Amino acid sequence: MIDDPALVDNPTVEVTDVSKWFGPKVAVSKITCSFGPGVTGLLGPNGAGKTTLLRMVTGLIRPSEGAISVLGEWPRSSPKVYAEIGLVPEESAVYTHMTGREYVEYAAVLSGVDGPASATDRAIEAVALEDAADRKLDGYSKGMRQRAKVVAALVADPKILVLDEPLNGTDPVQRNHLIAVFRQLGDEGRTVIVSSHVLEEIERMSDRVLAIVDGRLAAAGDVAAIRRAMSDIPYRVRVETTRPRQLAARLLEDAVVHGVAIEDEAILVETEDLSSLGHQVAVAAKRVEAVPTVFRPEDASLESVFRYLVRRR
Amino acid sequence: MRPAWAITVATVRQVLTLRRAIVFGLAEASPALVYLLVANTLSDEAALDRLGFMILIVYFPLLVPIVSLIVASGVLGAERRDGTLSFLVLRPIPRWVIAAAKAAAAVIVAGGLNAFGALALTVSYAVETGNWNLVVPLVVGGVLASIIYAAIFVPLGFFTDRAVLVGLLFVFVFENGIVTALRGLSALSPWRTGFSAFIALAPPDLLTGEDLAETPVELISLSTAALWTALAALVSVALVALVLRNRDLTSE
Repeated sequence: MIDDPALVDNPTVEVTDVSKWFGPKVAVSKITCSFGPGVTGLLGPNGAGKTTLLRMVTGLIRPSEGAISVLGEWPRSSPKVYAEIGLVPEESAVYTHMTGREYVEYAAVLSGVDGPASATDRAIEAVALEDAADRKLDGYSKGMRQRAKVVAALVADPKILVLDEPLNGTDPVQRNHLIAVFRQLGDEGRTVIVSSHVLEEIERMSDRVLAIVDGRLAAAGDVAAIRRAMSDIPYRVRVETTRPRQLAARLLEDAVVHGVAIEDEAILVETEDLSSLGHQVAVAAKRVEAVPTVFRPEDASLESVFRYLVRRR
Repeated sequence: MRPAWAITVATVRQVLTLRRAIVFGLAEASPALVYLLVANTLSDEAALDRLGFMILIVYFPLLVPIVSLIVASGVLGAERRDGTLSFLVLRPIPRWVIAAAKAAAAVIVAGGLNAFGALALTVSYAVETGNWNLVVPLVVGGVLASIIYAAIFVPLGFFTDRAVLVGLLFVFVFENGIVTALRGLSALSPWRTGFSAFIALAPPDLLTGEDLAETPVELISLSTAALWTALAALVSVALVALVLRNRDLTSE
């Protein structure tokens, strides 16, 4: 049994004392951690080094120092390992001249899947992309492209899934469905590594979290432990609405709201209870006849949480 | 074999959009159209002179390199620029297979377009004069030159975002400037290798020794041209495979 919460028993992915720098800039600094079956969340503000770490895990870039092992091998030296890795990259790029189905089947063929057409149908069904599958990717929204990339990553039935901000651009319905898919993949015994800068997302997707700040591992453990560690730090949430002043005034009467600031058509709400706040905003909006169009935890508040975690460590 | 074929087909579709096919097709057909417009007013000898002008001034030094540059620099460059490279390289496929499939796509598109240009020009000449024996030599010469250009411009597109600019400098400053002044450097000019193959396959009486002396080309034999082409292709595939294996494939 391993005591360090950054490490797991029977790891499929091992990161040992890894650093990466680009010129004078240190992107990742001496991170040691491991990943095994189940969903592990990689949490950190934008620019924390999550994407760099995931790119090193998949072999897209080499560590400047340290070692990475995926199923016992460094993928760059042994491309056959890629048959067991599925990546959803952060950038929204896809082959826009292809339909969703062609894109997924292309992934299946490149991964050496037997029966790529039937594997494509199964993967498309798993992510509920059937309706859009025969449309060109050029016409997909960002959220639909994310789903197409998830399908392409799943089609080869990989043991390890690396998902870099996979919920970016998705609407609430797509988000709920993808979270359920990731959960199920973890329950099936796959290693699912999923990054996000939004704690709420990570909380819903994974039981185990690694928090990264300024390229360093700031905290590791289960979500509840991370949550407890940051319980005294308020969230800041951006709410965009048609009647910001009226909604702000109403929200100030609410016990879960610590403070409110108005910024053009948006209000910034401070709270320690993010899940209750969503409900309270909906109730308050109805009372003042406002229409909330955006409800988004702000990066800045998370960043302060991460810095707090770094100081504690 | 199947992944290699899939990469080649996907890349051909990626670089040869309908708009590009129309634009390049018109550009490739333009020397033939110009030739047809003027040829029926000329004597047979003058028509051959006009054809020589189209081949030596327009087709080989301009059309073949520019079409090859735009096509070949995009086959890997677009993947890197658009962020789709990870989709391609994180696969259980040897790196040299990816490199070879990409190079093959560049050769199919650039070689195909340049073969079409050669065909259009020589067929229009044949229709006017009844002389069909320049069709195969020009197609072969154009395709060989396209292969060497692809061997140069595929890696160039991968290494720099300014591949087209660097490629144009290579074509206009080095090939059509420096090598024209220093004929001894002809072996380093892809279009001259293609032109040599064309001359080697064309009827011996096509050009007199005096004509040849006036061309800015130090001719090489067909076998040397073929060997040079194969070597360039091999080195290019090996170089791209090496980079795919050893270098960081995304930037910060």
